[in-house]
Amino acid sequence: MDAVVLTGGRLLTLLVFMPSVAGALCALSRSSRAAAVWALLGSGVPLILGAAAVCGFDASAAGFQWVERVDWIPSLGISYHMGVDGVSWPLVLLTLLLTFLSLVYSIGRIQNATRLYYASFLWLETGLMGVFCALDMILFFVFWEWVLIPMYFIIGYWGGARRIYAALKFFLYTMLGSAFMLVALLVTAHLYHQATGAWSFDWADWVAIRDTIDPNLQLWLFSAFAFSFAIKVPAWPFHTWLPDAHTEAPTAGSVILAGVLLKMGAYGFLRFGLPLFPEGAVQAAPVMVGLGLAGILLGAAASYVQTDLKKLVAYSSVSHMGFVVLGIFSFTLEGAAGATIQMVNHGLSTGALFLMVGIIYERTHKRGVTDFGGLAKTMPLYATVSVILVLSSVGLPGLNGFVGEFLVIAGAMKARPLYAFVSALGVILAAVYLLSMVRKVFWGEANANLHGLSDLTWRETAVFLPLLLFIVVIGVYPAPFLEVSEGALKAILEGVAP
Amino acid sequence: MQQHRTGPAWGQEEKLIPLSHTILLSAVLFAVGTVGFLVRRSAVMMLVCVEIMLNAANIAFIAFARHHLSMAGHIWVFVVITVAAGEAAIGLALIVALARERGTIQVDELRSLKG
Amino acid sequence: MPTLESLPHVLPEVALAVTAAALFVLEALWQPRGRARRVGFPLLALGGLLAALLFLVASPSSAEPRFFGGLLTQDPFSTFVRGVAIVATALAVGLALGSPSLPSNRRVEYHGLLVLLALGMCLLSSAGHLLMIYVAIEIVSLTSYLLAGFDDRGGRSAEAGLKYVLFGGVASGVMLFGFSLLFGLFGDLSLSGLGQALAHSTTLSTGAGRWATLLALVFVLAGLGFKIAAVPFHMWCPDVYEGAPTPFTALLSVGPKAAGFAVLLRFGTGLWPELATDAAAATSALPWLLLLGVMSTVTMTVGNLAAIWQDNLKRLLAYSSIAHAGYMLMGVVAGGREGPGAVAVYLAVYLIMNIGAFAVVSAVDRSAHSEDIGVYHGLGRRAPLLALAMAVFLLSLTGLPPTAGFVGKLYLFASLIHHGGFWYVLLAVVGVLNSVVSLYFYARVLRAMFLESAAGEPAPVSLANSAAALAVVLAVPTLALGIFWQPLAAIANFSGSLF
Repeated sequence: MDAVVLTGGRLLTLLVFMPSVAGALCALSRSSRAAAVWALLGSGVPLILGAAAVCGFDASAAGFQWVERVDWIPSLGISYHMGVDGVSWPLVLLTLLLTFLSLVYSIGRIQNATRLYYASFLWLETGLMGVFCALDMILFFVFWEWVLIPMYFIIGYWGGARRIYAALKFFLYTMLGSAFMLVALLVTAHLYHQATGAWSFDWADWVAIRDTIDPNLQLWLFSAFAFSFAIKVPAWPFHTWLPDAHTEAPTAGSVILAGVLLKMGAYGFLRFGLPLFPEGAVQAAPVMVGLGLAGILLGAAASYVQTDLKKLVAYSSVSHMGFVVLGIFSFTLEGAAGATIQMVNHGLSTGALFLMVGIIYERTHKRGVTDFGGLAKTMPLYATVSVILVLSSVGLPGLNGFVGEFLVIAGAMKARPLYAFVSALGVILAAVYLLSMVRKVFWGEANANLHGLSDLTWRETAVFLPLLLFIVVIGVYPAPFLEVSEGALKAILEGVAP
Repeated sequence: MQQHRTGPAWGQEEKLIPLSHTILLSAVLFAVGTVGFLVRRSAVMMLVCVEIMLNAANIAFIAFARHHLSMAGHIWVFVVITVAAGEAAIGLALIVALARERGTIQVDELRSLKG
Repeated sequence: MPTLESLPHVLPEVALAVTAAALFVLEALWQPRGRARRVGFPLLALGGLLAALLFLVASPSSAEPRFFGGLLTQDPFSTFVRGVAIVATALAVGLALGSPSLPSNRRVEYHGLLVLLALGMCLLSSAGHLLMIYVAIEIVSLTSYLLAGFDDRGGRSAEAGLKYVLFGGVASGVMLFGFSLLFGLFGDLSLSGLGQALAHSTTLSTGAGRWATLLALVFVLAGLGFKIAAVPFHMWCPDVYEGAPTPFTALLSVGPKAAGFAVLLRFGTGLWPELATDAAAATSALPWLLLLGVMSTVTMTVGNLAAIWQDNLKRLLAYSSIAHAGYMLMGVVAGGREGPGAVAVYLAVYLIMNIGAFAVVSAVDRSAHSEDIGVYHGLGRRAPLLALAMAVFLLSLTGLPPTAGFVGKLYLFASLIHHGGFWYVLLAVVGVLNSVVSLYFYARVLRAMFLESAAGEPAPVSLANSAAALAVVLAVPTLALGIFWQPLAAIANFSGSLF
C-alpha cells in the first residue's frame, strides 16, 4: 500500500516529527534500555515509511510532491508549507538512513546521559529533515537554527577532550552565517511586499517576483545567503570550524555532521540561492567556483599532511564538498546532477569512514596515521570494508564516488575547461593522500601492541552493509539516482543557465 | 496649561533683568552641579550637586515662564521642589544606612559591587 | 477631556493607588503574625494588581484620547504597556514569596512600594505632558531607589540603592534642564503642543535655534535613556541589578524599561506626528532618529561585549538587559505602525523570558546563596527541570528559534527593514551581529549548566519555592509562543498605534 495514502497525506510531517516525539519519550524513559528501544523505533519507523514511499515518488513530475500547507501566521503570510522534490527527497532518505545507522551503532557505546544522547540525535533528525522539506522561508529558518542546539550538545557533552571549545566554535560560526541570512530574508520579504503589497514568506511566491529585484541588490542578497551556506558546506575559507567539530564530536555525531549537516549548505544553494536570486548567483559564480576549487585543492593538501585519521577524513570532506560547490556553480545540468549525487555519495562514504575511524579508536584509543600498521592481517573484515570506502572516496570507477566527481568535472568542462583541469587535480590528490593512508594503516609492519584486536562485530557489519550496498549500486547503475533529480534540477537551473 | 496674561507690570519687569542673564545664571549653576557631581567623591556632596542641578532647571523654568507669560513654569517649580525633597530624603536615608554599615560615605570606597 | 469625565479612564491607576495606600495604612494599624502576615499582604497586593488589570481590560474606549487636560494620553500602546507593567509587578510579588533577600519584618512595605511602582509605570506609559512625564518618572525612580536598597544583609543592597539615587538624580536633573530648554524654545509643555510649535516655529530655521533644540533633545534623551538603561546612561545598571533583591531586579529589568520605551515612543511621535504614520517621510525628525539609531547601536554593542566578561549571573543579565534595550531601540527608530508594534511584541516576550531567567537565578540563590556562574556547574544534573527552563530562557534571549525571543527579534528587524533604506538595514545587520555575540555569553551559562560538572558537593537545589515554580511556568509560554505566535502577531497589530 502506498505510504502516502497510509499517512493520510501527512507523510512529511510524520517523517519530520516522529523522531522528535520519540526523542521526548527517550528523555523521559526510565532506563537506557527503554530509551534505546524508543531511539530505534523513532528513527526506524520513519526510515521504513520513507523507504515505502520511494515507489510513490514520481520522478518525472516537476514541482513538489506530498505538499502540505497550513496557515501559520496569516498576517505575515507565513505558513507551514512542506514538500519535497527530486533534490530534497534523496537527502531526506539519506538523513533517515544515516540517523538510524548512527543510533544502531551508538547503542551500548555511550555511558553517560545515554537517554539524552539518543534524544539529541532524534531531535537533530527532525531539524535536518525539516530543513530539506520546508518551503516557507521562516519555517526553513526555524529548522535551520533548530539543528544547532542538539548538535551543540552532542559535540559539547559526548565529544572528545576539546569538545567544549569545538561545540562553541560550531555554534558561533553557524549562527554568524544565519544572522546574515535572516537580514537578507527580511529584505527579500520587504521587496516582495513592495512588489505585491502583501506579505509572504513562501518560497514559490518569492521565486515568482525574482525578476523584479534589481540585479545589484540580488548580488547582495545572494551573498548574504551564500555566506550562511558556505559556512555550512563548508567552502574554503569558512571551513575552520569543521576540523574541530568533526574531531571532537563522538563518532555518530561526526557521521551526521559529515553525512547530513554539510549537505544543508549545498542544498541551500540549490533550493534558495539559485532560484531566488538567479542574477546574483550568476554574478557571484566566478567567486563561488573559485572557492570550490580552492576547497578541493587546499582540502586535499591539508588532508595529506594530517597525522590524525579523524582530521584527515574531516579535511577530505572540505575537498569533496568543494566538488559539490563547483558542480552547482558550473550552471550545467551535468554539474548540478553531479553535485546532487556527490552530496549523497559523500554522506555515505565519509559517514562510513568516520565510523571506521571511530571503531578503531574505540578499540585502541589511538587515531594517529602512524599508530597502526598491518591491520589487514589482524582485522581482515575491517580492512576490506575500509578499503572499499576509501576507494569510493577516491573515485574509483564502479563505485559511487566516481559518478559524482565525473559528472561534476564534465559539467565544469562544459562551463570552462580550466575548472575541469584544476578539479581533476583534486581527484589525483585524493588518491595520493587516501592511498598513502591506507598503506600506512593496513599494510606494512604490524604494530606490536595491536595484536588481539577483534574484528568487526556482527552489529558493526550490519551498520556498514547498507552503506556498502548503496556505494556499489550507485557506482554500477547510477541511472535511477540521477533521474530522480533531473526534473527538479532543470527547474532550478532555468534562471541561471547561460 | 493655558497661558495667563497678567498686568502690564510683567513687561516692564522684564526689562530690569533680561532673559539672557537669568538663563546664563541657570546654565552656570547647572554646570557647577554637573562638574561638582563628577569631581566630588562624598555621597552627601554629590547629592547636594544634584540639588544644584535641579535648582538650575527651576531658575530656567521661572525665567522662561516670565518670557512666555505662562504659569506652567511656576507650577512646575513647586512640583520639582517637592520631588527633590523626596529624593534627598531617600538619598540621605541610604547614606545613613551605608555609613552605619561601612563607616564611610566616599563613593570610591564602595566597592562591594564590582564595577 | 476635563477632570471628572477623565476619571473612568484611569480606574486601573486608582485601584493601584488605593491598594498601595491600604497596604501602608494596614501595616500601621494591624500587625498580624505568622501566616496572615506572610501570605495576607502579598495576596492583598496581588488582588489590587488583579483589579487594576481587570479595569484595564474593561476600560471604556474613548474617541478623545487625552485626559486631565492633556496630562495623560491613552492609546492601545499605552494600554498594552500598562498591562505589561502590572503583570511584571504581579510576577515580582510572586517571586518575593519566601525570598531570603527581603527582611521578613518589612515585607509589607515591600509590597506597598511595588504597587506604588506599578502606579508610576502606568502613569509613565500614558504620560502626554512633560510635567506628567517628570512626575511619573520620579514616582518610578523614588520607589525603585528604596526597593533597590531593601535587602539589609551586608550592605550590598544599600550601596546599590545609593548608586542608583545618585545616577538617577543626575539623570533626572539633566532631563529636567532639557525640559526647561524645550519650554523656553517653544513655550509649551504638552507633547501635542510642542509638536505643533515645532512644526510652525521659526526657531529651527536659525542655526542657534537648531543647536539649542538638539541640546534639549540630548538632555531629554539622557533622562529617558537612564530609565531604559541605554548606553551611555547605563552605568548604574549592573551594580543596581547585582545589589538589589533578586525579585525586585527581575521587575526592574522589565517594568520601568517598558514604561521608558512607551514614553520614548510617545515623545518622538508627539514632537513629530508624522513618525506615527510614515517613518520614511519623517525627515524633520532626523536628529532624533539619528540620536536613537546611534544610541541603539552603541547600547547593544556595549551591553553584549561587557556581558562576555561577567561571572555573576545577575551582572550578566544586567548587561544583557542593556543590550536588549538596544534591540528595542531599533523598533523605536523604525517608527510607523510597525515600529511600536514590534517594540510591544518584544516587550511581551522580554517580560516572560527575562523575569523567567531572574526567577531561575533567584531559585538557585535560595539554596546556593550565590549568583556566581560557578554554582551553576552541573545544574543540569542536580535540577534538570530548572536547568531546562533556564536553557529555554537563554536561547530565547539569544533569539534562536523556536522560542519567543526569535519572534520578538524577527518583528524588530522586520519593522526596521520594512521602513528604511540603507542605514536601517545596516542597523539591522548590527542587531543580528550582536545576537551572535550574545550567544557567546549565554552559551557560557548553558555550558556551565550542562557541559561542566560541579566541583565538590554542591548544595542540592530545591524546587519547592515560588521562584522555581515561576521559572518552570514561564518557560512554557517562552517555548509555546515561539511556535504558535499568533497571540504575538495580535499584539503587534493591536499596539501599533500611538496618538
